[in-house]
Amino acid sequence: MGTIEVDGLRKVFSVRERARGLGGAVRQLFSAPSREVRAVDGLTFRIEKGERVAFVGPNGAGKSTTIKMLTGILHPSGGAARVLGLVPWEKRRELAYRFGTVFGQRTQLWYHLPAADTFALLRHVYDRDVTDHKRRLTELVEAFEIGPFLNKPVRQLSLGQRMRCEIAASLLHDPEVLFLDEPTIGLDVNARAIIRDLIRDTSRERGVTVLLTSHDTGDMERVCDRVIVINHGKLLLDESILSLRQTYIRRKRVTLVTASERVDIDLPGVTVAERAPHRTVFEVDLEVTPVDVVVQAALRAGKLRDLTVEDPPMEEIVQAIYAGR
Amino acid sequence: MSWRRDAALAATSARQTMSARGELVGRALFFGVLLLVFSRLWLVMAEEGRLGGVAAANFLWYLALTEWVVLATPMIYLTIEEDVKRGDLAYSLARPVSYLRAKFAEGLGELAVRCVSLGVLGFGLAWLFIGRLPDQPLALLWALPTGALAMVLLMQIQIAIGLCAFWIHEAAPVYWIVQKLNFVFGGLLFPLTFYPDWLRAISEATPFAAAVYGCGKLSFGTTTSAALTTLLWLVVWNVVNAGFVSVVYGRGVRAVEVHGG
Repeated sequence: MGTIEVDGLRKVFSVRERARGLGGAVRQLFSAPSREVRAVDGLTFRIEKGERVAFVGPNGAGKSTTIKMLTGILHPSGGAARVLGLVPWEKRRELAYRFGTVFGQRTQLWYHLPAADTFALLRHVYDRDVTDHKRRLTELVEAFEIGPFLNKPVRQLSLGQRMRCEIAASLLHDPEVLFLDEPTIGLDVNARAIIRDLIRDTSRERGVTVLLTSHDTGDMERVCDRVIVINHGKLLLDESILSLRQTYIRRKRVTLVTASERVDIDLPGVTVAERAPHRTVFEVDLEVTPVDVVVQAALRAGKLRDLTVEDPPMEEIVQAIYAGR
Repeated sequence: MSWRRDAALAATSARQTMSARGELVGRALFFGVLLLVFSRLWLVMAEEGRLGGVAAANFLWYLALTEWVVLATPMIYLTIEEDVKRGDLAYSLARPVSYLRAKFAEGLGELAVRCVSLGVLGFGLAWLFIGRLPDQPLALLWALPTGALAMVLLMQIQIAIGLCAFWIHEAAPVYWIVQKLNFVFGGLLFPLTFYPDWLRAISEATPFAAAVYGCGKLSFGTTTSAALTTLLWLVVWNVVNAGFVSVVYGRGVRAVEVHGG
């Protein structure tokens, strides 16, 4: 049995259409035309225990709707899903004890009180034994390094500190599954790196299954081993991050630092992406010219001080998948 | 256990209310100014013999009691309206606690802090401004159970108003209407005995009179049976409102489950 099993899941919303002009507004008072929007359209996937899966897609792709169905908030229009063997919308309360959620723009921390007060309250919310709660809290305070600001009112914390407390709060009841919706939104580079490491390490150490949605491909690369890409509610791709890179990388970036101020490589499929004195970045279309041919040409072109061959950013790869390339 | 969870939610909410001192101070100042103005007004009217022989002190204590009930009731409709509009209510469904029950428990915590702080302040100021207790001071002993039940009733009405946001998005207009009805039918400034018979009959058939007038009229004295009858009516209205709120909430949540937050 998979930890999360989704089979042909569908969600159709009925959306009212706004009529134009005064006449339309008056007509709308009596009958409002509506149209159907397929937010999730026959989604099927399976996630095993301890897997860390990135769930990505452009805005409106159906990511949050899927997560809402998997947490039991929303009832589907069709299809089936099981989380930890339970149908989420039928056993929402029972299941809530076994998963944790972090919704980047929502908070479960009490704003005027220290995070310690919310943690104490969560023991009652999740019916936790005092000893278990204290042990887990000590572990999380240590791992997340939140001790120094545990007793400061939440309103006085930085966004990064608050998010660390937020994730700690979602892990206090030892959930088996963690749903994270944009957990690093609005954070600076350092805070983002800390949060990613914390999520990944917690999952590895405790076997927590992670389903993470994010627009930041860095979250996906640093935290997850597998990626599910959806668009218009349909599955576009489901594979490991590694194979995603191998399959979808059709271009590479070759950066040359040379003794001469300017260097040129005249090969088909090789274009200059950036140029500065003594430094040139070439973009190589691997379907036209293999990268080793470009490297050999670079060696012939002038005295090299440095050479770097890089994959394109993950952002570009995902964009290419969205665009169906 | 559920009651322990409720108690923890109420205690946390009480701590949060105490830490947000600005709002408490604002309400206290408003309460103080109101009592000062009306104490002067009632004293002048009493001197001119326009209070029908009733002591000005009784009128001021009436106002202290009715305003205490109204001001101590948390503005919980605002929180619920915001939760519905922002979709936070939908996300709260993914927790093992009923949103409605949690809000009720949190409201009780906030109410407890306001009830005590505004009660001490309001009754202290009423005594200071008019210099004496009402004619039957022992009747004030009934104020605590009556006031507490009245505040819970008004809080439940506020919860129902907040839940209107499921359908009309903005609950504020509903609140303003209900607030005015509460002022009129509840007899916030004037006892219902001042009203024409027809208006008094209508008022007494509303939960507002049970809550606000029910508490305020203690300033004119009471008997045990009259006080118990008031309490009984408050219990009945609370049960009726709890049922109404549960039905409204159930319908709202079903809409969220089908249409999203």
